[in-house]
Amino acid sequence: MIIIFLLLLPIAGMVHFMSGHLDISFNDLINSLFNFDETNTNHLIAREVRIPRMFTAIIAGAGLSVAGLLMQTLFNNPLAGPYVLGINSGASLFVAFSIMTGIPFLSSDLGIITNALIGAMVFGLIISLFSEVVRSQISLLLIGIMLGSFTGAIVSLLEVSSDASELKVFTLWSLGSLSRIEFSQIPLISLVFIVGIVGSLFLIKPLNLLILGQDQARLLGLNYKRTRFVIIAITAILIGLITAFCGPIAFVGLAVPNLVRIMLKSQHHGLLIVACAFIGGIFVLLCDALIQAMENYMLIPINVLTSIIGAPIVVLLILRKLR
Amino acid sequence: MIELKKVHIGYTESILHCQDIKLECGNVYVLVGKNGIGKSTLLKTISKQIAPISGEILVGSKGIRNISTSELPKLLSFVPVHFPQMDYVRSKEFISAGRAPYTNALGKITEEDSLEINHAIEALGIETLSERFTSELSDGEKQLVAISKAIAQKTPVILLDEPTAFLDYSNKKKVLSILTKTSKSLNKCIVLSAHDIDLCLEFSSNFLVIDAYSKEMQQLVTPSREDIISIAFKESE
Repeated sequence: MIIIFLLLLPIAGMVHFMSGHLDISFNDLINSLFNFDETNTNHLIAREVRIPRMFTAIIAGAGLSVAGLLMQTLFNNPLAGPYVLGINSGASLFVAFSIMTGIPFLSSDLGIITNALIGAMVFGLIISLFSEVVRSQISLLLIGIMLGSFTGAIVSLLEVSSDASELKVFTLWSLGSLSRIEFSQIPLISLVFIVGIVGSLFLIKPLNLLILGQDQARLLGLNYKRTRFVIIAITAILIGLITAFCGPIAFVGLAVPNLVRIMLKSQHHGLLIVACAFIGGIFVLLCDALIQAMENYMLIPINVLTSIIGAPIVVLLILRKLR
Repeated sequence: MIELKKVHIGYTESILHCQDIKLECGNVYVLVGKNGIGKSTLLKTISKQIAPISGEILVGSKGIRNISTSELPKLLSFVPVHFPQMDYVRSKEFISAGRAPYTNALGKITEEDSLEINHAIEALGIETLSERFTSELSDGEKQLVAISKAIAQKTPVILLDEPTAFLDYSNKKKVLSILTKTSKSLNKCIVLSAHDIDLCLEFSSNFLVIDAYSKEMQQLVTPSREDIISIAFKESE
């Protein structure tokens, strides 16, 4: 199964690379990396536009899916996800502050990333405190949705009171985009991403225990509070990073882990994490390839497309569960 | 193996208490009492899920207060009343979770672990269930898998919260007979709560009966059915 993913990812990557409206060959891709010629337009496009965008799609899909998987296991709820639980909205709120307060440091790249990260972390901790009080799965989802609405309202307040240029920056950000990362930013982002993924691989044993429920996991020696903190921290790193650069992207974190579980019929998290990373990357690559292919007719923000595809998948999952 | 010394238990105020009670390995103790009197609370207190209000509880001669989270699962395993609802977990994987206290940080199953897992499966004769998903098992089969996990955990103490609750007559008998056999062959101290007094009398002579009126738990050895009922279910004093 893993071998199939390993093959599918580069294929999806190539589909994505070729789907822009300018024809750029595979040779250009290789040359732009190893034999870069500044005067060659094709090289420039490959290096400055196509490759960063492909990279962003993979990171965003993989990161969101793994983060979603961690949330679902932590809260023992297949419908949990960074978006539903309001962790995305936390990041959004803090980014809204940083863009619309007009303080220069805050609206720099680093400022936005830091804020998205802090926002995701704060809201992750809030939701986990609530999870301590309410044991019911539905209640927790409702609290997450309320948290989302509440922050949405505050963001709207900020929007009303901000000036036109700030508002434009924020609105564009909130539509979600995969074309905001530059070639030179790739190493830094990869580093943060790898920290998140490798960190989650160290959680395999606690995650496998959490499947049995919090009480059983504790009785088998799991330090629940510490584990929860580490899971939230890793989720915040992944969500914060992706939200800062790509804006909020809905449903990937919710739908992909569920699809992966159904496909693999397993709860072994070593397998699930790797599969989520690959399938998530492939899913967003293909979504974005579709967007690029449609670019001449219609501009579709990534968040819109993932919602259009993701929402029905989630409804199907719920129906499947109820059956 | 388990010692209760003037223990009062409850969440905020004492709902149940006992004088000194000593439970030994090699026996099955049947905990009997009215609904809501605190049987589950007692089992949760012994397994350190909630703290006692006063008094001291010892497991294996050590006060549970001083037993660390990583040490406790090697001394005591707990079978809850409800089997966890999980998709895509095979019985064998579930039983393997009983080895978690012994595996390293990455959860690697060693040769010794898989030997113990196979022993636990053989002990209950559930080889045919091991590759099936737990979500597809019947209540009786789930209970056997849950007990098998507790055996894989290799603890001297096993606590079971109403292990016979959702089972038919023959499965109740099967579970009780397996537990009795295990307590002798593997020298374990097994405590289970149950409402099937007559059936339990066939398998065990050790009872922990909670007085319906004074809320005191007392240990009875080879009691009669009438003794148990008159203490645990008396209407008023």
